[in-house]
Amino acid sequence: MTYLDMEIPSRSSHLWRYTPWKRIHPSKVDIVPSCETIIINHEGDCELKESIRTVNESNDISRVFLHECNDQMSTVEIDGKGQLVHVNLIASGESVVGHIDFQCKGEATIIIHLSGSATWTGLHITGNLEKNSSIGYAFVNELDSNSKLLRCEDWNIHRDSRLEYGELSIGGFRNKTDIRTTLSDSNSSLNQTVAVYGVDSRHDDHHMEISHMVKHTDSSLIMNAACGGRSHSIGTGQLFIAKDANNSNAGQVFHNLLLSQDARADAIPELEVLSDDVSAAHGAASAPIDKEQLHYLLSRGLSPEQAEALIVEGFLVNTFSSLKNKIISDDLKTRLKIHLECGIMR
Amino acid sequence: MSEQAHEAVGDYRYGFHDPEQATIRFDKGLSEQVVRDISELKNEPEWMTEVRVKAYHHFIERPMPEWGNCNMLDDINFENVTYFLRSSNKTEKDWDDVPDDIKNTFERLGIPEAEQKWLGGVTAQYESEAVYHSIREDLEQQGVLFFDMDTGLKEHPEIVKKYFCSVVPYTDNKFAALNTAVWSGGSFIYVPKNVHVEMPVQAYFRINAKNMGQFERTLIIADEGSSIHYVEGCTAPTYSTDSLHSAVVELIAMDNAKIRYSTVQNWSANVYNLVTKRGIAHANSVIEWVDGNIGSKLTMKYPSVILKGEGAHAEVISVAYAGEGQHQDAGAKVHHLAPRTTSNILSKSISKNGGRSSYRGMLQVTPKAEGCRSKIVCDALMLDDSSRSDTYPTMEVGNSTADLEHEASVSKISGDQLFYLMSRGFSEEEAMGMIVNGFFEPFTRELPMEYAVELNKLLELEMEGSIG
Repeated sequence: MTYLDMEIPSRSSHLWRYTPWKRIHPSKVDIVPSCETIIINHEGDCELKESIRTVNESNDISRVFLHECNDQMSTVEIDGKGQLVHVNLIASGESVVGHIDFQCKGEATIIIHLSGSATWTGLHITGNLEKNSSIGYAFVNELDSNSKLLRCEDWNIHRDSRLEYGELSIGGFRNKTDIRTTLSDSNSSLNQTVAVYGVDSRHDDHHMEISHMVKHTDSSLIMNAACGGRSHSIGTGQLFIAKDANNSNAGQVFHNLLLSQDARADAIPELEVLSDDVSAAHGAASAPIDKEQLHYLLSRGLSPEQAEALIVEGFLVNTFSSLKNKIISDDLKTRLKIHLECGIMR
Repeated sequence: MSEQAHEAVGDYRYGFHDPEQATIRFDKGLSEQVVRDISELKNEPEWMTEVRVKAYHHFIERPMPEWGNCNMLDDINFENVTYFLRSSNKTEKDWDDVPDDIKNTFERLGIPEAEQKWLGGVTAQYESEAVYHSIREDLEQQGVLFFDMDTGLKEHPEIVKKYFCSVVPYTDNKFAALNTAVWSGGSFIYVPKNVHVEMPVQAYFRINAKNMGQFERTLIIADEGSSIHYVEGCTAPTYSTDSLHSAVVELIAMDNAKIRYSTVQNWSANVYNLVTKRGIAHANSVIEWVDGNIGSKLTMKYPSVILKGEGAHAEVISVAYAGEGQHQDAGAKVHHLAPRTTSNILSKSISKNGGRSSYRGMLQVTPKAEGCRSKIVCDALMLDDSSRSDTYPTMEVGNSTADLEHEASVSKISGDQLFYLMSRGFSEEEAMGMIVNGFFEPFTRELPMEYAVELNKLLELEMEGSIG
């Protein structure tokens, strides 16, 4: 089915409740614009192959749309011996689209840094972890504050493989992110952490689906969002445990820190469990800045802005504390610190 | 019950049915004329007829929900439902005057006995209308109004007009529109200022006929400083074709008032139970929903509270049991509109034999709601690997001073607990029953004693044959 044959999703579908399709589309919903390709620079021991993607297997509107906007695909093959791969994505111009596919074997660390001032950016990342792989993956969104971003990710994790996933979302004006991970073989595991920092009128909508398809699979999802100004953060976690996926372990936690009167944070941690011998739990909490913490820092001579930044830093840095891959957790923490320090100086 | 009858009814003890002796029965199907005929039959004021007709048009125009169990919802054939059936020509005040066959039904359900022992008042609704109604004299003298809704509209039209559709407008959802168009029966309660109704009042709803639709409408208003506890029970016979129950309940708790609304729904497994329940809580008032869902084919019910006044509090305790072929899509919604409002939601569900239980919740804090606190806990227990449990909570927080927590877990019965009880001499089935009763204990302890005992018995019945 092509994009123009598809029905525009209604807001009664929870995926589109907070960020309707027309608000994330680059122009009018009945148009598929022609888009430039995103600039991809990479460093590290890997190969990048360009190809044309002819078949789109998804029937999800975002994925179909991204494919029709631009069918170029860059495949990164990682035959890991512990190497570090840096991928810089630069979005410049009016509307840009990119599709990167990671084929991973062995051990490796991938860090993606998205920046630029394109009005609209569409990004599709797909990844396949072959058996016995251990991949650390970090994604940093530092787009300009006027950019719109539609990002889809699809990960497939095979037997005895592990994905350590860290994301720092601090850029862009309006972001819609849809990350779907399938644990398709036994002993596969996912540790996903997402930190969102909202200032001014930033709108950040994260939808994360994790599917446990077979037994003995583990997943953990932690999302921390700190929202200031008039920003709005949405976190939807959809955890699915298939029938017969016994002995699976799944958990998702959403924490929201509200920094201003007009900020808004929504958390929707959903569970769909079709198997009985599993451990599945979720939690969500939302609270303002602890006044005692603020008072303590002010009494030590920090300005209110510095004190708030320090509390936000502690809250967001904590998101990545469960990551075992030190390279990605250190990278994400450093970028967050720099971003917050620059914010104070501004 | 005779052996033959038991065979026909199976484990569902309320599955018997009496020969249908309707005095008025509408043809199946819905049209504007049916809506007008219901209103005319009841001699309703013109404004009510108009509201019904508007609601009917909204029902026709409104699409079916695109969420929940769409497959089951799409199976409902609205043209195959009887929208009005009168079994008795008047509402009796004396139990002896109730027609014998109806009286027998309610006696088998234990209604008169319960009334004598511990109720402040009772309404028994059979098909579309109330057949028996009484209230204790002392409550009547204090000015408490407790009627079936049709009588309430006749005798106190000014109160009904003021509050009808004020909490659940007919535009709220498709089934609220359907109920508003064809409502019949239900309870109307007004508790005057500072009056405390110490004993619970009860309504009992029974569907007896095949392909019947029951659309009762309940309106409870607790004036300033008053309190009331309302208990509702529901059963139906087991037929091979489906029935539809689509009620609307509106609660209004004025300043400092308290309303507790307890329901144990035990519809037979061929009833669609699509209910809208909502309350508005004014300053420092309390609304509590204690909601038990044991029966029905598909239940979609999310008791809601709008915390409109400062310091108001909402409490929702909900349990659901989903057995074979059942989907219990239950939950709770709380909207914090005012400062310093608080809420607690506790949801527990059990799925067994391929049943599906879902918690669907909404917690909203608006920008003006300073200093709100809320806690949600959802626990699900799955008894076998053919069942399913879902949780769909939504938290929308628009105020930075709100303090919210949500936690949920899905698990199976712990082997350690089972082993412990079996080592004390209980069979596996008994041990499992005890663990299930313990799991539901936070709910049963909030029910009046007789209901709690009844619920435990029901659960034991449902648990029979769980092993092996």
